Amino acid sequence: MDRDIWAKMHGASVHFPIALVLVSFALDGAGHLSSRLAVRRGLHAAGYWSMLLGAAGTVPAVVSGLAMTKGVILGHDALRYHHLFAWPAFALIIGIAAWRSLGAGSANERPPLAYVAAAGLAAALVSCAGYWGGEMLIAR
Amino acid sequence: MDPTDAPPTPARRAGRLAAAAAASLVSLFAAYGLARGIHREAIRSSHQQPTPEDWLDAPAATSPALVAQGRTAFLASCAHCHGIDASGDEGPDLHGLEASDRYILNTILRGVKGEMPSFRKKLRSADIAVLTAYLRSLK
Repeated sequence: MDRDIWAKMHGASVHFPIALVLVSFALDGAGHLSSRLAVRRGLHAAGYWSMLLGAAGTVPAVVSGLAMTKGVILGHDALRYHHLFAWPAFALIIGIAAWRSLGAGSANERPPLAYVAAAGLAAALVSCAGYWGGEMLIAR
Repeated sequence: MDPTDAPPTPARRAGRLAAAAAASLVSLFAAYGLARGIHREAIRSSHQQPTPEDWLDAPAATSPALVAQGRTAFLASCAHCHGIDASGDEGPDLHGLEASDRYILNTILRGVKGEMPSFRKKLRSADIAVLTAYLRSLK
């Protein structure tokens, strides 16, 4: 087996949750600012599915990351910084995806502002985790 | 007003938040359990596995000077995989190694298939001796 397979899998899988969570936050934020009902519903529905897909995408990203590092939870240097952002981001993304999906009546329901703020925090955390992931690549 | 924008009841809101918190906790615990399992398996299958050799060979005598030389050699040859403080990165944590000097020597010379390259051509026996002294100093 390719000894770098998990590193490659991690690299291939992490960009989906990063992009989808950022896009979900942007769509729901735009939905809150929109005054047109049809547009707002469309934006919130897109934000809903983006967040759910992003949350689903965190699972292969986390599994491949753990397999790549042989189960290191924190590590040191850039890896430590990466994990200090990645773990809260992971928990928050799963949490807000559950918040959005389990209690929602429909995908285009307007989420509360607290949800949008939490999605913004998740987007910031996952971006910082991605930044430190990139720092590790540059360091090598 | 859009009927779907009606605020949820307090009970529904509390239910959503409880479900969200539970999902977060479950996902973190699952990730932690997975990490522990992977880490245990990595240690079991790596050269850090305790071996009967541990009591065959007594560790060689060491000194602060040897440890310092070993640290220099470690930074030059090993730190890019095992981390600058030897606490692990791409390669495993090297603190508290439960292996004999001979085992360490063989691992450095032969490498570990699929995990670590052989350093036979790069390091001399004196380098490995000081590296071993440095590794012994890592508690």
